[in-house]
Amino acid sequence: MGGVTRHLTWRQRLSRWDARWAPYLYVSPFFIVFAIVGLFPLVYTAYVSVHDWGLLSGKGEFVGLDNYREVWDNPYFLKQTVNTLSIFVLSSGPQIVIAVVLAALLDTQLRARTWWRMGILLPFVVSPVAVAIIFGSLFGDRYGVINHGLELIGLDPVAWHTDRFASHLAIATMVNWRWTGFNALIFLAAMQAVPRDLYESASLDGASKVRQFLSVTLPMIRPTMIFVVITSTIGGLQIFAEPRLFDQTNARNGGPDRQFGTITMLVYDFGWQLRDLGRASATAWMLFLMILVLAVVNLVLVRRIGSLGGDR
Amino acid sequence: MQTRNTRRTRLVTGVLTALTLAMTAAACGGDGDSDDSGSADGGTTTISVATFNEFGYEDLIDEWNSTRDDIKIEQVKVGTWDDAKANLYTKLAAGSGLSDIEAIEGDAIAAVLAESDAFTDLSDPAVEGRWLDFVVERGTSADGQLIGYGTDIGPEGICYRADLFKKAGLPTDREDVAALMGTWDDYFALGDKFADAVPDVAWYDSSGGLAQAMLNQVANPFESDDDVIETDNPELKAVWDAVTDNVDTLSSRNSQWSDDWTASFQNDGFATMACPGWMLGVIEGNAEGIDGWDIANVFPGGGGNWGGSYLTVPAQGDHVEEAKEVAEWLTAPEQQIKAFAAKGTFPSQVDALSSPDITDAANPFFNDAPVGQILAERAEAVTVQPHKGPKYSDILQAFQAAVLRVDDGSQDPDEAWEQFQTDVEALG
Amino acid sequence: MSRRPGFVVYGLLAAFLLGSAAPFYWSFLLGSHTAEIAAQGVPPLLPGGHFLDNARRAIETIPFWKAVGNSILVSSAAATSTVIFGTLAGYAFAKLRFRGSNGLLAFVVATMAVPTQLGVVPLFILMSKLGWTGTTWSVIVPSLVTAFGVFFMRQYLVDAVPDELIEAARMDGCSQIRVVWHVVAPAARPAAAILWLFTFMATWSDFFWPLIALPPDNPTIQVALNQLQSGFFKDYSLVLAGTTLATIPLLVLFVLTGRQLVAGIMQGAVKG
Repeated sequence: MGGVTRHLTWRQRLSRWDARWAPYLYVSPFFIVFAIVGLFPLVYTAYVSVHDWGLLSGKGEFVGLDNYREVWDNPYFLKQTVNTLSIFVLSSGPQIVIAVVLAALLDTQLRARTWWRMGILLPFVVSPVAVAIIFGSLFGDRYGVINHGLELIGLDPVAWHTDRFASHLAIATMVNWRWTGFNALIFLAAMQAVPRDLYESASLDGASKVRQFLSVTLPMIRPTMIFVVITSTIGGLQIFAEPRLFDQTNARNGGPDRQFGTITMLVYDFGWQLRDLGRASATAWMLFLMILVLAVVNLVLVRRIGSLGGDR
Repeated sequence: MQTRNTRRTRLVTGVLTALTLAMTAAACGGDGDSDDSGSADGGTTTISVATFNEFGYEDLIDEWNSTRDDIKIEQVKVGTWDDAKANLYTKLAAGSGLSDIEAIEGDAIAAVLAESDAFTDLSDPAVEGRWLDFVVERGTSADGQLIGYGTDIGPEGICYRADLFKKAGLPTDREDVAALMGTWDDYFALGDKFADAVPDVAWYDSSGGLAQAMLNQVANPFESDDDVIETDNPELKAVWDAVTDNVDTLSSRNSQWSDDWTASFQNDGFATMACPGWMLGVIEGNAEGIDGWDIANVFPGGGGNWGGSYLTVPAQGDHVEEAKEVAEWLTAPEQQIKAFAAKGTFPSQVDALSSPDITDAANPFFNDAPVGQILAERAEAVTVQPHKGPKYSDILQAFQAAVLRVDDGSQDPDEAWEQFQTDVEALG
Repeated sequence: MSRRPGFVVYGLLAAFLLGSAAPFYWSFLLGSHTAEIAAQGVPPLLPGGHFLDNARRAIETIPFWKAVGNSILVSSAAATSTVIFGTLAGYAFAKLRFRGSNGLLAFVVATMAVPTQLGVVPLFILMSKLGWTGTTWSVIVPSLVTAFGVFFMRQYLVDAVPDELIEAARMDGCSQIRVVWHVVAPAARPAAAILWLFTFMATWSDFFWPLIALPPDNPTIQVALNQLQSGFFKDYSLVLAGTTLATIPLLVLFVLTGRQLVAGIMQGAVKG
C-alpha cells in the first residue's frame, strides 16, 4: 500500500485525536489538583527535612541528613515504630478477614437488604469527638465499662492505657470498629459484579458454599482485594487520630511511656509540640519509605495468596 | 432501558446543577469579608480576639460592641489551648491568617517570645504598673518589649471535701483546716492520718497536680535564669522525691484531666486538691450533686500560682493600633473583675486585687466560702515565681510523663527519673 | 437459583450490627442525661429525658445550623468531584492504554503514603497566596480529587466494565466521552455510590484542616462541635447531644443513597 496518502476526513481525525489524547485528558484533573495541593507540600517537606527549621523561628541552615540521624537516635523512635507495626497488624489483619466474610454474608438474598448494608456503615457516622468520649469510657482503666464487666465475672481488670499490648488492642478495636463496615461494602460491590452463572456451574459441580466462596468469589475480587490491602497498609501505618484520642494525658503522645504512640504522632510531636519542623519532616519521610516497603510486600503476598484460591 | 437512562440522566444532571449552584453560593458567600485579620467596612473596623477555654469575655464584648461604632470586637473560641496552639503555631509559620488578638497560655509564651519576633510591642505608659511584677516579666521579651498583656492568674488555695474530713475525724472548718496545712510536711502528715482513717479514698486528686503545685514554688525548676537546661538540680529532685514517695499511700494515681480523673469526682476518689481560681468551675462541674466541698485559705509553702494567660497582638495583622486598644481595654482591672464574676478567671491586675468586687465574692458551691478574698490573699502570699524559659513546657511534659510512669506502676522512681533525664536531652 | 440465607447468616449480621450501632446508641444515651450522670464511668442502660434540653443548649452555644450547612456543602462538593474525576481517571488507567500509565498509577498510589499532618503548613501558605484562606474554597479544593478515589475506581472498573462492550461501542462510532457516559458510568454506579459516601463522610469528619483554614464564624460541624468542649470542664451530656444531633443529616443521607448501593442482579446479567 506504500506511497498512497490517506486522506482523512475531519471527523476521522477528531476520532483519532480523541482516542489518543483522551486518557491523558481524563487523568489530568487529578494531576493538576495534585500538583497544586499535593506536590507542593511534598517538595516543601523534603526541603525542610534537610534544614534546621523551627516551626516558629523559620528556616535555618542546611544540615544534610542530621535531622534523619537525630530522629533515628531518638529514644522513642524505635518504640513507636514497633507500636505502629503492632497496631497495624492488629487492625488491618482482622479487619480484612471480617470485611470479606461480612460482604459474603451480605451478598445473599437478605430481607431488607438496604438496611443491613447501611447499618454496618453506622460507625462512620459517629463524630470523632464522640468516639473519643465513648471509647475512653469503655476502656477506662479504673472506671471503664469493660473492666467493670470483667470484675463482675470475676476476672482481673486490664490496664488498657498502661499495658503496651492491651493499649494496642484497644486502639485496634477502635479502628476496626470504624472501618470494617466500609471495607465490607467495598468487597460487596466487587462481589456483586461477579457473574452469577459462575456460582451456578460451581454448585452444579457439587461445590459447597464455602468452597464456592474460596474458589469463585475470592479470585474474582482480586483487584479489589489488592486495593483494600494496599489502602489498609497505607492507612494502617499512618494511624494518628485514634491513639491520640485514646491518650488522655495533656501531652497526647501515646501514653507516658509512649506505649501506644505511632510514628505519625511522633511527626506531630516534633512539629507542633517541640516546634522542630526539620525533625518532623524527616520523620514523615522515613514513614513514607516504611509504607512503600510494606505496601509492596503486602502486594506480593496478596498476589501469591490470591492464586491459591483454586485456579482451574 | 431507555427509561432508566433518562431517569438517571435527569437525576445526575439535577444533582450536578444543584451542586454547581451550591458551590457558587459558597464561593460568593464565603469570601465576602471573612478575612481573619480585621476588616474595615465603611468606617467600622472589626477586631478578632482568639481565645481558648473560658476567658469570660462574652458579656464584655457585648458591652463594648453596644457602645462603640468605630471598632467592633468578635471572639474566636477554641476548646482547648492545645487546639489554639496548633492554630497559632501553624499560622505563625505560614505568616498569615492569625486573629488580631491572640491569647497565649502563660507556660508557652516564653517559647513563643524566644522563637518568634512576629508580635507587636505593646509597651505603653498607660499600662505601667497595671499588673503584678511576675506577670509583666513573663510577658516581656528578651529585648525589653512588652509583648503580652496579662489576663488572669491562678493563685492557689486548697479545696477539700469537708464531709470526707469529718469521716476521718479531721476538723472541717476552713480556718481549722488552714492551720493544719502550712507546710508540705504538714500536708503529707495530715494525709497520712486521713489515709489511716479512710483507706479507700486518696488524699489528693493526682500526683501530677501535686507535682505542678510544688514545681510552681521552685525558682529554677528546669532552666537557669540564662535558659540553660539544668534538670538534675537538688530542688527538682526534692519535688520528685516528695511526689513519688507518696504515690502508694496518698495519691489517687489518676492522670489529671483523664476520664478516670473526671469520674473520681463522683466516686469519692480523693479528699483534697490544689485549687487555683479557674479550678473552682471545674470542680463544680465535675462534682455536681456532691455536697461538702470547701476551700481553705492556705497553701503549703505559702502560696503558689498555676496558670495565667496573655493577650498578644501579632504583627501580621492589618489593624494593629485598634487591636492594641481593644487588648488594653480587655485587660483593664474593671473588665477582668467582670470576667472573674462570669467565669472565675482571677485578675492579674494589682488594682483588681483590692477591689470589693473581688474581696466580697463568695461561692455557694464551696460552702459560701469568700473565694475572692481567699484567692487574693493567696496571690499576695506568692513569693517565688518559677523561671519559665523557652523549653519549659516541653520539659514539664516530660516530667509529668515520668510521674505518670510511677503512678501506673510501669517503672520505679529511679528508672523514671533516669528516663526523664534522657528525654530532656533528646529534646534537642 | 435462590440463595436464601439462614439463621446463621442473620445471626452473624445482627451481632455485627449490634457492635456497630452500640456506640452510636451510647452517645445518644449520654446526651439524654444530665451532666453528672454522663460523667460517671458506667452509663445507665436507658435514656433519660434530657435529650431535647441538651440539644437545645448545644444549638444555642455554637453556630450549629450554619456549621451543618457548611459541612453538607463542602462534603457534597468534595464527594461529587472526587467521584467524577476519579471515575474518569480510573477508567483511563483501567481500560485505556497510554504511555506511562503504569508509572503514573504507581505514583498516584504512592502519594497516599505521605502523612498529611505536615502538609498543613505549606498548604496554608499556598492557600493564603491564592487568597483562599477564610473561604470555603480552601477546604473544598484540596479534596477535589483524591488518589484514593482514582485507585478505587480503577480497581473496580478493571473487572466491572467488559472490554467487549467498550469495543462494541467504539465500533459503533462512539467518541471516548460517549463511551464513558453510556458504558462506563452505568457499570460504575455501585462503586461510585460507595466512593461518594466515603468521601462525603471522610470530609465530614475532618477536623484539623478546617479548624485552621476556615474563619471562626463559618466553621464546619466538627470544628463547631469541638467548641462545645470549651473550658476545663467537659459537659459530656452537652457534647454528646450535639454530636448525636449532628449525625441526623448523615442518617438522612444514608436513607437517600442507600438504594444506590444495591447493585441489581442485573449487574451480573450484563456479563451473561
